[in-house]
Amino acid sequence: MMSLRWTMPLLIMAVLMSCFAIIHSTHASRAYYADLQRLEGTHWYLQEDYSRLMLERSTLASPHRIAKMAQEDLIMRAPDLAAYRTIVEGAY
Amino acid sequence: MARNRVVPVPGMPWRLVIVIGLLMVLAALVVGRLVLIQVVDQERGAAFLREQGAMRAVRSAEIPAYRGMVTDRRGEPLAISTPVITLWADPQILRDSNRLGVLADALGQSEEQLQQRLDLYSDKRFMYLARHQTPDLARRVLGLKISGVGGKREYRRFYPAGEVASQIIGLTNVDGKGIAGLEKAYEEVLHGRVGQKRYIKDLHGDAIRDVGVVREARPGQAVELAIDLRLQYLQHRELQRAMVETGAEAGAAVTVDAWTGEILAMTNHPVFNPNSRSAFDYAATRNRVVTDAFEPGSTMKPLTLVAALETGAFTLDSIIDTSPGRIRVGRKVLPDPLNYGAITVSRVIEKSSQVGVTKMAQAIGHEPVLSVYRRFGLGEPSSIGFPGERSGSLPNRERWSEIEKVTLAFGYGLTTTPLQLAQAYAIFANEGRRVPLTLLKRADGEQPPVERVISEEVAQQVLTVLHRVTGSEGTAKKARVPGFSVGGKTGTVHKVGPSGYLPDQYLALFVGVAPIDNPRYVTAVVIDRPQGDSYGGGAAAAPVYARITDGVLRLRNQRPEIEAETPAQLASFGGGQ
Repeated sequence: MMSLRWTMPLLIMAVLMSCFAIIHSTHASRAYYADLQRLEGTHWYLQEDYSRLMLERSTLASPHRIAKMAQEDLIMRAPDLAAYRTIVEGAY
Repeated sequence: MARNRVVPVPGMPWRLVIVIGLLMVLAALVVGRLVLIQVVDQERGAAFLREQGAMRAVRSAEIPAYRGMVTDRRGEPLAISTPVITLWADPQILRDSNRLGVLADALGQSEEQLQQRLDLYSDKRFMYLARHQTPDLARRVLGLKISGVGGKREYRRFYPAGEVASQIIGLTNVDGKGIAGLEKAYEEVLHGRVGQKRYIKDLHGDAIRDVGVVREARPGQAVELAIDLRLQYLQHRELQRAMVETGAEAGAAVTVDAWTGEILAMTNHPVFNPNSRSAFDYAATRNRVVTDAFEPGSTMKPLTLVAALETGAFTLDSIIDTSPGRIRVGRKVLPDPLNYGAITVSRVIEKSSQVGVTKMAQAIGHEPVLSVYRRFGLGEPSSIGFPGERSGSLPNRERWSEIEKVTLAFGYGLTTTPLQLAQAYAIFANEGRRVPLTLLKRADGEQPPVERVISEEVAQQVLTVLHRVTGSEGTAKKARVPGFSVGGKTGTVHKVGPSGYLPDQYLALFVGVAPIDNPRYVTAVVIDRPQGDSYGGGAAAAPVYARITDGVLRLRNQRPEIEAETPAQLASFGGGQ
């Protein structure tokens, strides 16, 4: 009979604790979700930047532009055969 | 004590008893109804009510998935998605706004225009204001906080290489779905999976807060191509130049690494700009390298040579008498440009002699030739899986007339694509083994499946002849590349019109292998309708081959055969270990 007397308060305590746990985890879940949304926003902005920079880089590095600059601004040309030297790895 | 009793107490007025009783019945009814609605699963119960609530407040929205990038073999982007914002409006809310002028200004439209469109959609709840705006501009518009105006995140596809790789990469439509080229072929890999989230809205339809993600968006995967953008650009430049020089209408070129089967470059003319849809010619989106099949003409003669060598009836040094420079087959007379006299089999190919090939074909019959064509992959689609790819055709007849047997041997009566030509010659370059072609980069050390098609000796003999074609007696002296020995075969074929062959319209072809002593790079060039006197494969297509191959060998670090030996000078390059 003793055990039955203690069981009731124990169960009530357990119910109360689980109530608080639910409140806590719900709050945590909201906070995490807010975090997720904020990070998603950041992700979006970063991706925007990234693809813009990629585009910028590939525009600047386009073979067409490089060929034009090399030939017109830097007066470069492909070497003729007499100027060819092949460096073989480990040969020297 | 008495107040707590529910049972009638002697002395309590009977009316009070009735009132208390009624109240208790009412309370029981309310509790019962609550239990029915919230606990018991029944029609119009808990689930129904939750659904009704959600219908009024909860909305779901798409989370756009990032479309995978397409890059070349060195990681240069060829197609890339960038975030944009599509602006939309609810006409029924917006039409009452007194700030239409401000909105029109921010959008760069005129107010009348905007008003007209609002009137047009006045009975709708949705209209686009401007699709695919840059995030900066869209934020400025959204920052005005005009009610009824919203923004939706989307992606827009950009093609940094522009027209240079336009036909290979293809296009996506405005909704980001691949509709042409590799964008279509690899749609499954690239597109990813659109996610879904739920949010709660207020009376005006604005999102108050997100409730949760129903389905996570999964970004698409990147596709790494075997294409080398530098070679692609080089090939594109040379093909454009050839168009100007020959006055041709169209052209195509493809370069293949014969050892791995990788397609290093693939270009076409005419071209289109995939970044601008306003002026758009659908014919220019065709990737002619895989979609256009034509009669390959003399470029098939090396394959006939294979058939002749395999039967054992001929060697490279067998003598064939081509006098008097023409031969009658059935009712047709096939001429050579001049009488070559008695020449070797090798010289027959070098000179591309119709009479010589005809005699070889008559000696071996059509079956061995057809067998070689089949083994070389003609008449069947390649393994690249490109949308709209043609497989070409091989003749399939019950009875073969004499002229059909002969013309098959010099490349008429069948059709091939430029890619199939390159694939066939890659077999010579790969010691007689066939490697499946691919547009995707092979992983380092990946061993592609190979299939032996002809013996190493025969392949080597054909290479010797191909090299001689570019020699002093051959038809393709213009295919020579400074510093390297190359080999190849020209072809000049009549174009086919609605009523047979057109007398003065040609396709100029050249397929070549380089470098000849360590063959690896195969390039096929097709020039469609070159104008003027230089219409032949040797005059119109071979120089293009030479310039492309020159660049290919340089960019792929091939060592020239002829090179001054002055290692002492290398010290200044810091050429230590």
